[in-house]
Amino acid sequence: MKFIKTHLSLIFPLMAILLGLEFFIVFDRTTESFEKSLKNGYTMMVVAKNEMSIDDFRSWDKHILKVEEIKKSKILNSVNIDFEKEKGESLENSLPNFYSIKLNKYLSISELAEVKANLKKSEDITRIETFNSVYQSQYELFSFIKFSFNTFIVFMTIIGFFLILKQMEVWNFLHAQRMKVMEIFGASLFLRSKVLINLAIVDAILSALITSGIFFIIQNMWIRDTQMSILKENIESVFYLSDFFILLFAAIFIVLVAVFLVVINVKEEE
Amino acid sequence: MSENVITAKKLTLAYDSTEKIINNATFEIKKGDFVFITGPSGSGKSTLLKAFYGNLKPQEGELNIGGLDMTNIIKHKLQELRTHLGIVFQDYKLINEWTVEKNVVLPLWIAGYTADVQSSQAKRLLHHVKLTGKEDKYPLELSGGEQQRVGVARAMAKNPFLILADEPTGNLDEYSSNVIWDLMENACQQLDTTIVVVTHRIPMMFNIPYRHFSIDAGGNIREVH
Repeated sequence: MKFIKTHLSLIFPLMAILLGLEFFIVFDRTTESFEKSLKNGYTMMVVAKNEMSIDDFRSWDKHILKVEEIKKSKILNSVNIDFEKEKGESLENSLPNFYSIKLNKYLSISELAEVKANLKKSEDITRIETFNSVYQSQYELFSFIKFSFNTFIVFMTIIGFFLILKQMEVWNFLHAQRMKVMEIFGASLFLRSKVLINLAIVDAILSALITSGIFFIIQNMWIRDTQMSILKENIESVFYLSDFFILLFAAIFIVLVAVFLVVINVKEEE
Repeated sequence: MSENVITAKKLTLAYDSTEKIINNATFEIKKGDFVFITGPSGSGKSTLLKAFYGNLKPQEGELNIGGLDMTNIIKHKLQELRTHLGIVFQDYKLINEWTVEKNVVLPLWIAGYTADVQSSQAKRLLHHVKLTGKEDKYPLELSGGEQQRVGVARAMAKNPFLILADEPTGNLDEYSSNVIWDLMENACQQLDTTIVVVTHRIPMMFNIPYRHFSIDAGGNIREVH
């Protein structure tokens, strides 16, 4: 019981911080691939009087990644009107050039408007269709989820740090007398803090193991049964073995800083 | 001529610049001396003892303990000096979450002695302070007299060259007081340990030669015996 009480009071706040950190890492990884799929699925349409190459487009805006000409016949086919062959050919010749453009990253609405404005500067370009409303709704939903999640992570981390500060006060209360006595008998800073360091490192390892375990279970049990395609597609991104070492390093760093702050604040009585 | 363990020249001690606790004291304590320091409450007896183990730096004058100048002593040297001192406090200053045995061997643990050495030394010392069989008890399970005997055993664990004791028998029963005085007399006579005891009253039955310093209310020290 004493063991549980002694350790849980540090393990819980540490886990709050580590869960926040791991959620951030996982969210960053999964949203990166989601952003990629949004980017890959998005194209803007440009109508130009004369033929234009990719370099022509890039000279107007650096975000242009790929330009694909849409065959005029394809456009006429899609209109689905039966023309006589000759009329069809002359109509095809009179049509402007249509291009489908892919961008190099998932842009914000304002950046997208900027791309549109840059392309409009070209006299050859007569019309640009950015499909703004679809793009905007996807982007805003995505940004909102990202913002909410990051706020939650920051909030959890702050709570975690406050709980660790409280734990440091408890440590000070429990260990100060022992450290003062040891200092009187000539113990070095390391010896004085050894008990606390051992305790803190054990808690750091336990916290990293439990947090990793939670993510391992999420990856291998919960996500496999879920219907959320974004999670299923990114199942491998949910937990890497290297995440355990990141969590362990972060946990050990946090507890050692906490221990050091407690130990240097224990002053010998005068 | 035996060497000086403590040398004070025009020593002034104070907690702040306005009020001097010990005033312009000059004295020498030699190896193997047993010294009692007496004086009224608040005269600076405990303050002087604190200066001896480096808890308070001299405001003026010189203080030399075991060849080290306490005015400018660096932290590392002070730590090393303290590993060669034995200190006994009136309030025992035992570590309550440690067993009696672990408390006794604290100086040996700090010095890095093996567990075997620590264990055998603990048994020997606890036998001397009549606490055999209480190795695994915790300080709060003992009486005040027993706790102080643990404190004395701890102070003697590493055969220090100097033992500093602040009112070691202040509130103790006669049996515990006698055990403690016997131990200190033996350490002084057999091991040539220098012992400085701050006390209100020198024990009536004291069997070895001793020196007696008295501090008056103004913080002036003089040797009376």
